[in-house]
Formats: sequence, C-alpha cells, structure tokens
Amino acid sequence: MKQKFKRSIDSLDLVFQFTERFFSREKVSASAQFPVNFSIEELFTNMVKYNQDNPNEILLKVKRKKDRIEVSLTDFEAQPFDVTSAAPADTTSPLAERKPGGLGLHLIRKMVDTLDYHYENGYSKITFTKLLGQGNV
Amino acid sequence: MFEIDFGNQSQIIFSGRLDAAQAEKAQAFLDAIPEPRVADFAKLEYLSSAGLGVLLKTQKRLMGTGGGLKLINVSKHIYDIFRYSGFDQIFEIEAAGE
Repeated sequence: MKQKFKRSIDSLDLVFQFTERFFSREKVSASAQFPVNFSIEELFTNMVKYNQDNPNEILLKVKRKKDRIEVSLTDFEAQPFDVTSAAPADTTSPLAERKPGGLGLHLIRKMVDTLDYHYENGYSKITFTKLLGQGNV
Repeated sequence: MFEIDFGNQSQIIFSGRLDAAQAEKAQAFLDAIPEPRVADFAKLEYLSSAGLGVLLKTQKRLMGTGGGLKLINVSKHIYDIFRYSGFDQIFEIEAAGE
C-alpha cells in the first residue's frame, strides 16, 4: 500500500488511519504495530520539521513480505539527511542535564530490525523493516 | 484521539494516543500542574518521542518542587520506550499489572 501525505503534523491522524488499514488487512499483531507506527511517526515528523518550506507531499509505502513488514518514506526535492549516521542520543545523563529531543532515531534503532537511507537527485528515502513474530499470520 | 484529565483521586489520566500532533495539548495541561502527581497510563495506547519531550519538561519542572510524576499502569511497549531512552532512571514507573 502507498499514499502521499501533506507535509504537516496534522497529517498524522491520516497516516495512522492508513497504517491501521494495512495492519487490519495483513493481520499484523499489536506487538509489531507499535514499533512500526512509532518509527513512521518519528521519520515523518522529522521530514516535516527539517524541510518545512518544501511544498511536496511525503510518500509512505508499507508492504508485507513473508516474515517482515517493509516501510519506506520518501521526501522529494529534499536536502540529504542520513538517519543511519545520526549521532548517538543521550540516554544516561541525570534529569537536570537531559534536553528534550534527539531520542527519536535512537528509539527507532532499538525497535526495528533494519534501517537504510538512500539519497539521489533530491529523492531522500528512508526504509526500515520490522520482523514479525509468531503471533502474526 | 488523545485525552488528558484528572481522575477522582486527583491523578492525571492519559488516554488514547500521545503523538506529535497532541504534544501541545498535553504540555498545556501539564504546565498547569503545580505539584507532584500520579499519572495513570492505563488507557494510554501510544506514546511517541514528542510525548517523551512533554514528560521530560514536566518532570524537570516538578522536581524543583520536591517530587515528580509517578507513572502507573504503564504498558509493555511504553515501558520499553522508557527503558531504551533511559527515562526509567528519571521517572518512578510501575508497569501495568504490578
């Protein structure tokens, strides 16, 4: 399944309606839905935040492949930002030293099984996969 | 859909999905809390890093009053997020079923 979404945080409701239709169709367990939704939101909101003046919509594709779900988000006419080489997040500092932000990519890496980035001619594409457990058809 | 409100024991009840689009609503509610509280996550289905940011900002402010949020009935997925982010070291958390 694929769909384009307006570059706005307000699109998140529509994004989750889209993933819900996919999960229902493919009978994806709740244990896989959460990390997939989480990762899509993080990557989508990053694209919204860091390319705010870009008029293009963001393309989201989700696919079931045997034992995994494959998801890609593509931004068009975008500046490159390789999510796979982002700096490590601060997860150990005490409360007073912790700053908001910077955790999204770290958490994605913890929850998905592969994360890839490809940039070419203004196409910025992030792909991740989530392996499915025994609870899924 | 996301809702945040007080329960009948003055605890804060989080319901639904706290995603980036709802972070401002959550922050506005929590900014008005003057003292440490219990936050009940029993009906919270989803939390993203935007929600973590809201909770972190609130915790930093409340700890200055002598105590922070205590999170109860935290689901496995959300507890995992707290562990991965190190937030289990800066919040008192009770998992669902404890």
